[in-house]
Amino acid sequence: MSNQDQQPPWGKKKKPQTPEEMVAQLIKKLQNYFSDPPKKEPGQGTPKSTTPSNPFASIGKLLAIVAIIMVLQGVYASFYKITPGEVGVVLRLGKYNRTADPGLHFKVPYLDKLYKVDVEKIRTESFGFRSRTPALRKTTSNRTDLDMVSLMLTADKNVINVAWIVQFRVNDPQAYLFKIKDVHQAVRDLSESVTRRIVGNMDFDYVLGNRDLLAAEVKQELQKELDNLQAGIGIGTVQFQDINPPDKVKPAFNEVNEADQDMKRLVNEAEEIYNQKIPRASGNAKQIIEEAHGYAVARVNDAKGESQRFLSILTEYKNAPVVTKKRMYLETMQTVLPTVESIYVMDEDQQTPLPLLNLSRGSNSASFPPAKQ
Amino acid sequence: MKQITQFFFIGLILLSITVIYDGCFILEEGKQAMVTQFGAPVGEPKTEAGFKLKLPFVQDVSYFEKKVQIWDGDPNQIPTNDKTYVYLDVTARWRITDALKYMQAVKTDARAKSLLDAIINGTVRDTVNKNNLIEIIRSSDWSPETMTNLKYDDAPPQIGRDGISDLILEDAAKVTPQYGIELLDVMFKRVNYIESVRLKVYDRMISERKRIAAEKRSTGEGQKAEIIGKVERELKVILSEANREASEIMGKADASATKIYGDIYGQDPEFFSFYKTLQSYSSVIGKNTSLILSADSDLFHYLQKVDSK
Repeated sequence: MSNQDQQPPWGKKKKPQTPEEMVAQLIKKLQNYFSDPPKKEPGQGTPKSTTPSNPFASIGKLLAIVAIIMVLQGVYASFYKITPGEVGVVLRLGKYNRTADPGLHFKVPYLDKLYKVDVEKIRTESFGFRSRTPALRKTTSNRTDLDMVSLMLTADKNVINVAWIVQFRVNDPQAYLFKIKDVHQAVRDLSESVTRRIVGNMDFDYVLGNRDLLAAEVKQELQKELDNLQAGIGIGTVQFQDINPPDKVKPAFNEVNEADQDMKRLVNEAEEIYNQKIPRASGNAKQIIEEAHGYAVARVNDAKGESQRFLSILTEYKNAPVVTKKRMYLETMQTVLPTVESIYVMDEDQQTPLPLLNLSRGSNSASFPPAKQ
Repeated sequence: MKQITQFFFIGLILLSITVIYDGCFILEEGKQAMVTQFGAPVGEPKTEAGFKLKLPFVQDVSYFEKKVQIWDGDPNQIPTNDKTYVYLDVTARWRITDALKYMQAVKTDARAKSLLDAIINGTVRDTVNKNNLIEIIRSSDWSPETMTNLKYDDAPPQIGRDGISDLILEDAAKVTPQYGIELLDVMFKRVNYIESVRLKVYDRMISERKRIAAEKRSTGEGQKAEIIGKVERELKVILSEANREASEIMGKADASATKIYGDIYGQDPEFFSFYKTLQSYSSVIGKNTSLILSADSDLFHYLQKVDSK
């Protein structure tokens, strides 16, 4: 406004600067167009056109333009495109009429109403996950709320921390749209309820060890419940990501794992001792037995050899017993006596040898010198 | 005059448009409607989707939800029969089955929620109060197969969680029809210990785990001792068996040797003793031996005389 005030009154008419003025000018032009029929060639025009200001003519024009716009808009609105992966549900006068597959389709304008539903998209609801953004994690209310989602009671009255996701897609668009008011909330509520129910049937260790079984049961029951509600939803996967003891109890669980390792270690140590000793003992036992076998063979062979020798001598002895006997005796004496320290030969008549006997060793007085061979 | 008729026509057209527009309504899928005339309901509730007629100007239409709706109760702390405080979050699914009654008795969705709050919360409290905690945790299809550590007193729940929800539903569903509401189900969304109880439970869980850990360690020690004992036993078994076998073998050999000697030496015992005695001299008589022999002995008697006796 201040700008306009500065305009000199004598200057050329300035073009409107502000938007308000532009709109005002446009309206004025429109008014001129409708209210003043063209009067460029006065006298030549028909009498009707010269009739001064017929208000309905202008209204008629306005209606015509509105009608044209409506027709154009109607034509535009009667075509619609369904992209692949989508399904169009068409209501005619509010009532379900048909389901449209991907492609270009026609509908009656103003009477038909179209809802598009993505039936390929996999929707995911996750439960019990800590938010990755630290800002959200700070708020304690959020934290307790998460705890409330993930903490469950097991059949042995323990508390377990469970986080899982449910993936689903729409398999009945009509039911999905019109049967349940908030389908996603229903999926959330049902999966929490079903999961808790099934976890409540299992004890703590069973839940920890059977996540696949748990997922399968939850999936089956959740699908059944959703079908009961006619939710129009098919569950794709139920996946248990985290099944853990609560944070406060975790160290105790780790201790159990350590104890488990300790137990295995102790058994291994004992088996090591076993493996060290037993095979060696078996070997030793075999050695003893083998040696016994050796002894047995040697003993029998010795016996056979010796007795054979005896037999041979006996045979010859029988031919000349007296001489052989004497010979053998003398031969033996011959080999044995030289090794003897001392020999005393006593006359039968001499009764007491003791006074003569020199008992000191090493002296060879009165001793019989060993016969040289 | 002409202008007046034109005005009149246009007025008529506008009027008829308004009449047609106000004389009908479109009821969409998932909705139901009640027609009222100066506030008083007219006819049956309209539940089928489609194009409907009504009197223009005098009749109004109120729309209601036909879809299943979710009631989400506020979490509650309730003591069970065995005096454990649990935190309970219950949810229910319901729908308007009688739009007329709903319109008269409930009117708004906010009031529907508070009505359901009152009905369901009260029933939940009563039912949970009467049951033990284990009934709320386990369901009727509980089976020992899903327990890793089965305790001696583990028995199937008498009612079970599903049974309790059914009882709550049954009780609450008796009340809701007067509001035109049908309750479809009631579910325990969350059941937990309250904070203070939970900490106690954690302590119990910790002590349980410590017990298991101690048991495992002691089992390990025991197994080790057992194996070491087994080692000792097997060592003794192996050694003694080997010795026994060796003795048997040697005994047999000794026996057969004895038999051989006996057979042969028995042919002339007198010569055998002579022969064997002579043999033994070489080992019996040695360096440290002093012999006193008679001069009359076979060896020496030639020392004194040549002629034999």
